[in-house]
Amino acid sequence: MEAWSVWIVLAVETVVAGGFTIIIPKITRRGLLFGVYVGEQHWASVQARAIAREWYAGMILGVAASIVLGAGLALGYPTQPLAVVSSLLMVLTFTVVCYLRAHFRARRLAVAGAPVSAAALIVDAPAALTVPIVATSIGALCGAAALGYAWMHYADMPAMVPTHFGISGRPDAWAPRSFGSVMMLPLMAAVLSPGMGLMACLTARAKRAIRQADGGVSLAAQLRFRRAVTVFLSGTVILVSLLLTSMSIAATRVALGLSEGLPGASMALTGVLLLYAIGGSLYLMLHFGQGGARLEKAAGSAPLTNGLADNAHWVLGVVYVNRDDPSFLVEKRFGVGYTVNLGNPRAALLVILFVLFMIGVVWFARSTPHTSLTPGS
Amino acid sequence: MDASLVIEIDRSREEPAYEQVARQIREAIATGHLKPQQLLPAVRSLAADLGVNLNTIARAYRLLEEDGFVQIRDRSGVEVALPARRATSEAGAALRDELWHVLMRMRQAGLPPPAIRREVDRQLDKLLSPHTERER
Repeated sequence: MEAWSVWIVLAVETVVAGGFTIIIPKITRRGLLFGVYVGEQHWASVQARAIAREWYAGMILGVAASIVLGAGLALGYPTQPLAVVSSLLMVLTFTVVCYLRAHFRARRLAVAGAPVSAAALIVDAPAALTVPIVATSIGALCGAAALGYAWMHYADMPAMVPTHFGISGRPDAWAPRSFGSVMMLPLMAAVLSPGMGLMACLTARAKRAIRQADGGVSLAAQLRFRRAVTVFLSGTVILVSLLLTSMSIAATRVALGLSEGLPGASMALTGVLLLYAIGGSLYLMLHFGQGGARLEKAAGSAPLTNGLADNAHWVLGVVYVNRDDPSFLVEKRFGVGYTVNLGNPRAALLVILFVLFMIGVVWFARSTPHTSLTPGS
Repeated sequence: MDASLVIEIDRSREEPAYEQVARQIREAIATGHLKPQQLLPAVRSLAADLGVNLNTIARAYRLLEEDGFVQIRDRSGVEVALPARRATSEAGAALRDELWHVLMRMRQAGLPPPAIRREVDRQLDKLLSPHTERER
């Protein structure tokens, strides 16, 4: 029963992840085809439509195959973590393969030469930062509370502490008490929450990618989209902060014997976070489109400008590297939201720090001796 | 501020990028699309939107400041300068000299005097049009 319930959850996740990815070409700004700027005219050409059709067919097949093969592996080897998440890994692999195939085909239609740069002479309102700053502050406070609570009770903890909780909310893995096994969750709360808040603040000031001579339509669409993404990210920061902090405090209480598992509020918060993330992403994609593409309407036929339109500064259509451009975040060519400009040294440093942090978390998780036995047995 | 007021840099032109920026802002101010004391985007913000080096925008703003079109303030950014009430004698002499050189070049390029006069009147009308005056 447990294996079935896990598989059903993963199958739903696979359908959601695959479904989100499949519709990306539908919400992309006119002129961009699988990470390549092909121009507004070529974008609707017969060749471009053939590339998109192949993408849809490949991805639908990929999602279906991932669910079927993933079910077999998850039910056949329910104790193997890789088998359990195999459907998600497979849909990810299918996505990469289908994208690269479409991207390289789209390159044949690419517009050559440097595009015109354009910028609106308007000043960002300082009030745009209010929501993300409030979210970052809440994240920092939550992180500090999680760290402080674990630190205060560290000396009172028993020899074995819980390190993982099952779907039921009860601990299903324990490890010997150490700074790492006790502090990992509070540290994640303390680093991830303000870190995500910082990204929300940077999103509020992300590069405004506008079209040439469109009477300000693309700028208005872009600003509305950027504001919506900032608010969405800020909400995510608050929910993630509350979830990580409540889980961290609950884990400490379980270790101290004050409680038997995660409180219902933490479990409910997980559900709220999932619904918010899926619902919010869908709303952004279907109402605004990437970069406000769905709000541009007729203005979408005006040419895109620097940044988005410059094929010379994009690696495989997903990584932006422009050392002359001081932008920190730029609009994604394929996907939803913004990505970092790796040509900006500060942005590159932030990415390196984040990668090192995640490697540290994975390394710690693998190096800590875990047991699925309860401390009493 | 007019959201459709957009400046562009065309790298295929011979004119340097900073001069293209300065020229378009100068025109926007002269035609009243940018009003006195109106704030302009900060150097970093404008450079990021245009995808150019910070120095390009800093140089354009310095050029505009030297010409009296903007005032660069340390904290509050860059704002459109108020037009001078009366030109100093040195500034007046320098501008008259500049105009004289432009007129000579027009004549040398083969434009007949009536055409030069018409062109000067046309540009002056554009500068002092009711729209421009109202915007001011």
